Amino acid sequence: MRNRHRLALAALLALLVAPTAGKAEEQPVFKLEMADGRLTPSQLSVPAGKPFKLQVTNAGTATAEFESKDLHKEKVIAPRATAVVSIKALAAGRYDYFDEMQPKAPAGVIVAE
Amino acid sequence: MSAQLGNIVFIVWRESVEALLVIGILEAWLASRDPETRRSGRKWLWSGVAGGILGAIVLAWVLTVFDDTLSEDGRQMFQTAMVLVAAALIVQMVVWMRRNGRTLKRDMETALTGAVERRSWWSVFLLALLAVLREGSETVIFLWGSLAGRPVGEIGAPVLAALAGFAAAAGTYGLLQLGGRILSWRLFFRITEVMLLCLAGALLMTGVGGLVDLGWLPGLGRLWDTSRLLPDTGVFGGLLAALTGYRARPMGIEVIVFAAYWLSIGWMLVAPRPAASVRPA
Repeated sequence: MRNRHRLALAALLALLVAPTAGKAEEQPVFKLEMADGRLTPSQLSVPAGKPFKLQVTNAGTATAEFESKDLHKEKVIAPRATAVVSIKALAAGRYDYFDEMQPKAPAGVIVAE
Repeated sequence: MSAQLGNIVFIVWRESVEALLVIGILEAWLASRDPETRRSGRKWLWSGVAGGILGAIVLAWVLTVFDDTLSEDGRQMFQTAMVLVAAALIVQMVVWMRRNGRTLKRDMETALTGAVERRSWWSVFLLALLAVLREGSETVIFLWGSLAGRPVGEIGAPVLAALAGFAAAAGTYGLLQLGGRILSWRLFFRITEVMLLCLAGALLMTGVGGLVDLGWLPGLGRLWDTSRLLPDTGVFGGLLAALTGYRARPMGIEVIVFAAYWLSIGWMLVAPRPAASVRPA
């Protein structure tokens, strides 16, 4: 029990003191747009085996949540805001992403090749 | 517009369901205890809920205002720690309820000593708090984003939609309480126990995903792809994933942890209970 408390506390501290600076090396940036369930592009090609960044803009009027179970990412984005999500090197394949706040909208796909 | 309102109802309900499961089952369980256990248990449970609501608002505020200053990994660590602790607490809770479920309802001479009991109540408190905090902060951010920036005249409809979502959530909660009263304790507990363990499994899967993302666990490659057969996105797939941990494209590590989790749960449920845990105090 005490260990669990300690784990939570450690994570909280890590959150507070974690450095905010990005990696020194330049990573390619790919742009995605979410607008009330519309995802543009619905299919995005990225190079396999290389880390990259996704610049996700919420162009809609509702809050969006960029989510991907395949990429293990979740990021809430306010209307008219832009967020950057770092993705580690991917094996070749298809990775779905979707707006968690728009469950009826079709998912988009990131294709690593 | 109406599609968006329907969306608000659904999202608010969905985000509340997880917390409701945990709180509703604990409350139904407490309702079947002797008056003294019930009284002190409820105090801990509902303080946890209140703390969770307060924390959700604060967390939502922190996540919105300090969005750029929080590192991505720091946020991931925080979220991962939250789901893993919640999963562990749920499993512990099921074990605890099991041990105490067998003793007589009315005049239960609790097997727990004072110190163990206090620790268990702390777990109840922390579990309720985490359950509300996790999904609650998302609900706050979602609602805030959906309401802010609208002309005052247009705010009424989304507010009503949000209230309808909460009402649906309350209805679900009521169903749980009704189930606790109508069904036999044994049957009710069997069902809710499975629901809780599935939920803990889902949280564990989210946690494992977070650990892989942080680079603390190897992914071990994608094992299969059933996304065409049964996706883990959309209305049904998303709910299935959130409540059971289903993954359409699981990685090796996810399959291993998921299998290990259910094997140890199965072992725990089948293995005879140690006699010491049911001996009256």
